[in-house]
Amino acid sequence: MITLLGIYRPARTPLHLAPAWLKMLMLLGISILSLATSDPVTSLGLLAACLLLLASTRPPLKATLKGMAFIAALAIMAAGFQVWLGDYVRALDLAGDLIAISALALAVTSSTSMAQMMDLVVRLAAPLRWILPPETLGLLVALTLRAIPEAAQILTEARVAARARGLERDPRAILIPSGARTVGFALQLGQALHARGIAEHGRSARAADREDRARADEAHAPLLAEPPVREAPTGETPEVPEPNRRGRRERRR
Amino acid sequence: MIEFKDAAVVAPDSGVPILEPTTLTLTEDRISIIGANGSGKSTLARLINGLVLPVTGSVEVDGLDTQKQGAQVRRKVGYLFTDASAQLIMPTAVEDVALSLRRVIKNRKERDDAALAALREIGLASKADVSVNALSGGQRQLLALAGVLACTPSIVVADEPTTLLDLRWRAHVGALLRSLPLQVIEVTHDLDSAARAERTLVVDLGRVVFDGDPKEAVQLYRDLMFGRASQGATA
Repeated sequence: MITLLGIYRPARTPLHLAPAWLKMLMLLGISILSLATSDPVTSLGLLAACLLLLASTRPPLKATLKGMAFIAALAIMAAGFQVWLGDYVRALDLAGDLIAISALALAVTSSTSMAQMMDLVVRLAAPLRWILPPETLGLLVALTLRAIPEAAQILTEARVAARARGLERDPRAILIPSGARTVGFALQLGQALHARGIAEHGRSARAADREDRARADEAHAPLLAEPPVREAPTGETPEVPEPNRRGRRERRR
Repeated sequence: MIEFKDAAVVAPDSGVPILEPTTLTLTEDRISIIGANGSGKSTLARLINGLVLPVTGSVEVDGLDTQKQGAQVRRKVGYLFTDASAQLIMPTAVEDVALSLRRVIKNRKERDDAALAALREIGLASKADVSVNALSGGQRQLLALAGVLACTPSIVVADEPTTLLDLRWRAHVGALLRSLPLQVIEVTHDLDSAARAERTLVVDLGRVVFDGDPKEAVQLYRDLMFGRASQGATA
């Protein structure tokens, strides 16, 4: 199942309105602070602050509780090991740090749009422009995050297909089709990027960029004669406007 | 104007011809391409925006060569895939359309406004902030189309855009494509839709075997398919 956990949801909370660089700096700062200090009181204080920040973004309750329960289970296991070693203070510190950092990471991802993330990566990568175009690096981040739910979906479908064939205990029946489909998805995505002209470089791309900017300066005339088309069909035949070929030809001239 | 000049494509590994040398000039606003699975019709469509490059000959769009000026050609030619899911990159609808606009509009606020306007034009404004994973197949195809149209192409190539859609969405997307004030080239298995074009190409075994009136093209395609089916049945 594709979870809604951590997916950006627009809102006007303080964290949503804060700039992306500030949120990333806060995440980095709190992560370093929580790892650097071994005082359980500080850890619990940070934990409370991070949970409050997460709650302030008003995330989807069910998905968040489910996701945090998983993190809490991991934290309990790690803490249990420390208790077994007899280090109660370290157990409390470790569990608090793990939950706090995860909650803050969720708060940041659910309050920061991908476009904001990309802009931040592009700005940070600007000094590396001679090695790799910053836009490409930004796109790489977006594609990585995009691939996670898709890979999860492919794995789930492969598991269901293996079960349907009575092969649920054979890891090859799950891993091989999952691998092949993931590669297929990556190829399709590459073709789509290519078709949309995204992250293209070279002389032709630069010439196209110049043309695009010149066109962007012109008025942005609507593509359809009578926009908008009525909202997506719900049970009746949608209305679609008549073609505006004359308008288009005039624009071509 | 799209010009194929003896453009041919072969499989990269085996050298098997996928598309025989083809010479065509496409000027009509509505062109449909029909043919059996694996006949080479998608290859023909992909040649138009340089997704596939010819091994011999050339393809030109408004005088731009797809080999040498590929990026410029792709700004003129929007491409719609069968499975819109693979075409959508960003997590929400408005962000995905905005991604198409990144290279032309640098200011994020202006870019988001333009993306929202593109969604409004296509009837998806209410889904602007919805995750692309939560959209139906038809809505995803509309979103993919909005992403293409946001770049103001002069040609849209649609490769079986309605194949994965139910009847209602098929009618909606089909009608929307027909309403576009652009040159639209549609690869399709929907013979009713193909027959509504101004010109139809029939592709069979890597060759354009018919180029002309849509109704005649559909009849020829039916004859080809049913003739082959009856040969298969008697063999």
